Amino acid sequence: MGKATVIPFGPQHPVLPEPLHLDLVVEDEKVIEAIPQIGFVHRGLEKLVETRDYNQFIYVAERICGICAFGHSMGYAETVERLMGVEIPKRAEYLRVIWHELSRIHSHILWMGLAADAFGFESLFMHCWRLRERVLDIFEKTTGGRVIFSVVKVGGVVRDIDEAQFAEIKRVLEGIKHDYNQLCKAFLKDTSVKNRTVGVGYISEEEARALSMVGPFARASNVNNDSRCLGNGGYADLADFQPIMDTQGDCYARVKVRALEVLQSMDIITEMIDKIPDGDIAVPVKGSPVDGAEASNVVEQPRGECYYYARGNGTKYLERMRMRTPTSQNLAGMTKALAGCDLADVNMIVLTIDPCISCTER
Amino acid sequence: MTVKTEYLITTIDAVPSMAKRRKEDGWRFVQLLAVNTEEGIDLIYSFMKDGVLQNNKVEHVAKTDSVPSITDEFLAAFVFENEVHDLFGVDIRNIAIDFGGNFYALAQSEPMTIISPAQKAAREKARQAAIAKAERAKKAAAANAAYVVDHPGAKPAPKSDGVLIKPSADGVEEKLRGIDPEKVARLRAAMAAKARKAAAANADYEETHPTANPVQPKQESNISDELEEKLKGMDPEKAEKVRAAMARKAAKEAAAQNDTAKEGE
Amino acid sequence: MGSFKLGAMTLGGLFKKPETIQYPAQTKPAPAGLKGHVVVNTEICILCSICAKRCPTHAIEVDKKGRTWSINRFQCVQCGSCVRECPKQCLTMDTSYAPPAREIKVSAFSVPEHPKEK
Repeated sequence: MGKATVIPFGPQHPVLPEPLHLDLVVEDEKVIEAIPQIGFVHRGLEKLVETRDYNQFIYVAERICGICAFGHSMGYAETVERLMGVEIPKRAEYLRVIWHELSRIHSHILWMGLAADAFGFESLFMHCWRLRERVLDIFEKTTGGRVIFSVVKVGGVVRDIDEAQFAEIKRVLEGIKHDYNQLCKAFLKDTSVKNRTVGVGYISEEEARALSMVGPFARASNVNNDSRCLGNGGYADLADFQPIMDTQGDCYARVKVRALEVLQSMDIITEMIDKIPDGDIAVPVKGSPVDGAEASNVVEQPRGECYYYARGNGTKYLERMRMRTPTSQNLAGMTKALAGCDLADVNMIVLTIDPCISCTER
Repeated sequence: MTVKTEYLITTIDAVPSMAKRRKEDGWRFVQLLAVNTEEGIDLIYSFMKDGVLQNNKVEHVAKTDSVPSITDEFLAAFVFENEVHDLFGVDIRNIAIDFGGNFYALAQSEPMTIISPAQKAAREKARQAAIAKAERAKKAAAANAAYVVDHPGAKPAPKSDGVLIKPSADGVEEKLRGIDPEKVARLRAAMAAKARKAAAANADYEETHPTANPVQPKQESNISDELEEKLKGMDPEKAEKVRAAMARKAAKEAAAQNDTAKEGE
Repeated sequence: MGSFKLGAMTLGGLFKKPETIQYPAQTKPAPAGLKGHVVVNTEICILCSICAKRCPTHAIEVDKKGRTWSINRFQCVQCGSCVRECPKQCLTMDTSYAPPAREIKVSAFSVPEHPKEK
């Protein structure tokens, strides 16, 4: 029976992409309990709604997080469009889906690089980020920005993608697929990776449901909370969408779900490019939201389901804009997964929820 | 296609039973948010099942009210309940993991309930402008309708209520005296051009519709006093555009009057 | 100890063209449409201040009396709202980023008087 020690983990830690503090109660190298603490990047962005009108706020919404930037701008624009009863053209919906799926590819490849770094496989980390650069080049050519695109506005999108650029996107994705398959083999078949991830941080299906987990974190425990199945916007026109699930419930399953989701996203993009209709890319939006009107919306971001709520008050400033991000929902699940693990596995488990703490705290 | 959302009203006392019911029926907890309104804080609990999103609203929670926590049913809610407590000052009892006000290390307590005076003034001004515009639009619509009903065969003339269209050549001169001469010259030139264009349009209309009632000679300005005030403060280009739009609207209404008058005959 | 799964990729990396370029000797050509910095065409500008009103970060200042249009390049977030909202289309985005500097300086341009075309 050892003595319990409290080891502080974070907020500055080489493995964490964003500052998160955990108080690990440890007994002889086994973690008994973990208490999370956030609040290091709270910027009060939801309060900025009072001084930026609903058109200007989209640029604030984009900058909540660097990795999920497009997801937030798309979710915000969809929510305000629902609040004001605006219908955007089909081509704009398809373009948003294409950019969002590209964003998912870049986010998952980024995460896989970080996961490789977490268990010490640094050359795999470098290879993943090398592939991610090609996706960022696509973004640069089609939107004008690498990380923050500023290409969505309330009423549609701002820029169009022409045929030549579509052909380029398809070509780059084919090129990525070839190298990416080798990376997947390294992640899923390599013995050293399996030693670090199989059986680590197990969460069963009942616990996943009880803790209301979302995203690939939950899908690895066979709980399907994928909002793309709900058919919002352009996702309604997908021929056959089945979210990728796994029943194993440990870190290995979460790596596998994300790795396979990248391939699924590439297929979705190719399908959308083939089906995209011609037409306008935006409708003009005039006026302000009605006093007392409210709207809510869910978007499936790379990290999970993100919930948006908007309320108008008759002026051009929104009364309230709320973005509930998937990581805040998964914090309870992470706390549960950390209980009973080895101290050396804390890195891996914290990373498998794909923490995006700047999203959580806005 | 969009996800189905519904809003239901709940009271503070019904929150624990609502949470228990949701857990038993298999609903998934989505989030808890708070909105700062003048009458109190609104809490919204969201749940999702089978593609339907239901929001339970608890309205007007006062500072003295104490809300029971739902973390015994849904542990994931502790993040949101701590956040609502820190940012809005809502007192929530029995949170499973309670940080006691230190979840976010804030410089001010309950920052979301503080509205700066500048922001209040801006909102008030926008609200007044919206109310005034709605009033004007309502009065104009009523005046139009009433006039058409009372006088079916009348010549299209400016409305006597004087809300939207007013013969105010002298009024414009008065105002123009106060503005700097360069702007005045530009405005006069614009109005003269407009009068000429309108006269030409009238001539064309009379040529194509010889049986129509003679249209009243177009006034210098078809704009009400309040609009004139605003136009003075605006950029001259924009002012011209607004005047052109009002003139076009008046011409359209005159044409409409003509049509209804013809039908009335 | 399993086999070396990244063997093919590592070996290939010895012979293939590198993914990186020799910066600063070589630079990547900027794609068209890259949002670098805002450029104003003072011949057409009418100082209407719509761009200043729409800017989400209040980076643009328009002085009508002094006939200047100024932008704080460090506050600009390259969103492109001013370019879209200008009624005379006098703003464009150029593809080079604003260079780093030792102090924050506001770039001011004076707008010459021009006769209004009627």
